[in-house]
Amino acid sequence: MHFALTDEQRALQDAVRSYLRDRFGPAQVRALYDAPGSDGVPAELWQAVGEQGWLAVMVPEEYDGIGLGLLDAAVIARAFGAGTVPGPWLSTVLLGEALRLAGSPEQQRATLPGLAAGAVKGAVALLAPGSSPTPAGAPVPASAATLSGATLSGETLSGRLDLVEHAAVADLVLVASTDGGLHLVDPRAAGVTITAHDTLDRTSRLSTITLDGAPSERLAGSSPEVLQQLLDRAAVLVAGDLVGLSRKALTDTVEYDKTRVQFGKPVGSFQAVKHELADLHLAVTMAEYAATYAAHAADAGLVDAQLAASIAKAKASDVAGDVVGAMIQFHGGIGYTWEHDAHIYFKRAKRLQYAYGDAVQHRERIARLALDPLAVKVADPAGAA
Amino acid sequence: MDLHFSEADEDFRRDLRSWLDANLPQEMRERAFWRDLSDHDQFEARRSWEQDKAKAGFAGIQWPTEYGGRGGTPTMKAIYDQELALANAPHTVNPLGLAFLGPTVMAIGTAEQKRDIIAPLLHCQTIWCQGFSEPGAGSDLAAIAMRAEPQGGQYVLNGQKTWTTNAIHGDKIFALARTSPAEGGARHAGISMLLVDMHQSGVEARPLTQMTGEAEFGEVFFTDALCPQDQLLGGEGDGWRTAMLLLSFERGSSAIGQYTEFRQQWDRVATLAHQLDRDGKKAAEDPVLRQQLAGALVDLECLQYHSWHVLTQTTLGRDLGFEASMTKIMWSEAFRKVSDAYEAVLGQGFQVPDPQPGLSVQELTTMAIWSRSCTIWGGSQQVQRNIVAERVLGLPR
Repeated sequence: MHFALTDEQRALQDAVRSYLRDRFGPAQVRALYDAPGSDGVPAELWQAVGEQGWLAVMVPEEYDGIGLGLLDAAVIARAFGAGTVPGPWLSTVLLGEALRLAGSPEQQRATLPGLAAGAVKGAVALLAPGSSPTPAGAPVPASAATLSGATLSGETLSGRLDLVEHAAVADLVLVASTDGGLHLVDPRAAGVTITAHDTLDRTSRLSTITLDGAPSERLAGSSPEVLQQLLDRAAVLVAGDLVGLSRKALTDTVEYDKTRVQFGKPVGSFQAVKHELADLHLAVTMAEYAATYAAHAADAGLVDAQLAASIAKAKASDVAGDVVGAMIQFHGGIGYTWEHDAHIYFKRAKRLQYAYGDAVQHRERIARLALDPLAVKVADPAGAA
Repeated sequence: MDLHFSEADEDFRRDLRSWLDANLPQEMRERAFWRDLSDHDQFEARRSWEQDKAKAGFAGIQWPTEYGGRGGTPTMKAIYDQELALANAPHTVNPLGLAFLGPTVMAIGTAEQKRDIIAPLLHCQTIWCQGFSEPGAGSDLAAIAMRAEPQGGQYVLNGQKTWTTNAIHGDKIFALARTSPAEGGARHAGISMLLVDMHQSGVEARPLTQMTGEAEFGEVFFTDALCPQDQLLGGEGDGWRTAMLLLSFERGSSAIGQYTEFRQQWDRVATLAHQLDRDGKKAAEDPVLRQQLAGALVDLECLQYHSWHVLTQTTLGRDLGFEASMTKIMWSEAFRKVSDAYEAVLGQGFQVPDPQPGLSVQELTTMAIWSRSCTIWGGSQQVQRNIVAERVLGLPR
């Protein structure tokens, strides 16, 4: 029984943290906030992300990757959440996972080494905004994905992909269709239009992609099962980011409330404050466990891996919302200013709380996975007895 | 990451399971069996079964063999808790003695105390009560008023204890009393822990009926009750320190037994939701109830992950310290969420034991009401939050 990170995973965590501490701290994050017109990908940071192997973590060794698991990637996600790290790390990693799970050997060979090195930035459109995290929520209907007028390289795609992260800087876009198809699209090809949005969370950039007969290439092993697996992996990594962010936001708030004096006492000595902080500490701890277990369940192929992914995302989404709200409240007026970092955590939490299924959608999925099977027991007289 | 138990642990699980298969009759696993017994007969049936279990070597799992224990690991204790819950085995008749007094006597008891207390406790020949709470000392334990005055080699005890588990079944009580008055700010000084015989004319136990209608706790009145001076546990005036040591033995608890029990309860509630009608459909199809049931399951599963965390740390020999307060909050609140979901699924049917023909929910209703006590006893949620805030997060007092 060892429910904890390994020494190697701890070392990875320390490496990411120490890089961020030395090279990409709050001042660099703030610089992004002051430059909303930039592409949102600091060049030096992105180069380091590639060099350190943080993009290669799950890429198989034969394609220049490290061949580790989702839990290792989740360790990075957690540190990135704590550091509100910008850039297309998540989408590039997910694109790699799509290729690893569904790509033909030729497709893998053509693309994975570039993704692992950071030479190719990925964007993914797996889910239409607001959709539940199942293949049915894919942004492109299956019929659109199999349009006629195929070019030499494959099929063409038409449709609108909303709120795609880092589409404007991507070298390759992965598009899911409702039949479980996974399609590679070159964002610079004819028939692809990308419109950037002014994004609330400036540690990211969201765009709308319009496809009008855009050339695409279907991943050979595409299926609804693989798409579901990708959606679950995305949810687990986002949960990791959210718990890293939540822990950091909570720790900063606790430290502030130890020293901020009102009525002649530190405000953290008042029970109305300390009880809520204690509850948040418990909740963040629970979400940390859930994010860790969900990643392990995927790596170990456990039967409850899907349930675990939804538990992790539901818990992490709720907890992050609670923590960033408390961070503003328990900093008082300063917490509502642009100058204070609270809004940076708040806005990133809001983006991720609702990405890849929100808490309500994941709880509904939990009900489908754990509650609905018990109906069979009721229908079966032997089981009901 | 490795969530497997060791080979030796799994051997232990097999042994325990086969003993339970052979020695826990099906009828004793059903609630109806217990409902039809008088309080006395129920207690004695549980005691007798527990004595057989102890004889078979399935007691004192983590206690050293020199004290008659099994000398097992924290993971074996977790497996023991898990298997007993899965088998729907009767709860122990000696919870406070086994969890708290036994380990404390092993740590600081005299040779005579070890000899006289431990074996009869383990084999449930002596039922121990805990005499901490008083009408004026609930969360504020140091406010106890019971007095113990030395008189000719004995202490003479006067005062009252309350909310005492097993009060009417108890043979002995480990009680906190003032051997000298609290002076100035030194409220923790002058308290002693005494091991008092309850079978004497100066001790009267009265049942207290709880909101479930059962009376598993009670009040204990001391009127010139006597306790020999050699029945002091720890030094005179050191009772606060003894009490803190005693309560610290809860720290290694993984709460995996609670998880196992509540998860079974969740499954029963979920099954019930497929049977009860609501708006022309089943309750399990109601989107809001689905959210509530799923939310309870989320926190339950987080409790299971927490128990793995505790087991990992205790196996590594680490003291979890004040994290024990987190364990207590987590399990009691997860239990409450399951109970709240149950109540919402039943709705008006919560009032009756048979909300629909063929459905009996008495046991679940009692559980739901029992969940209301778990956020109070053993340190209320509010006290636990203070501990987490001050001792874990380091917020100022």
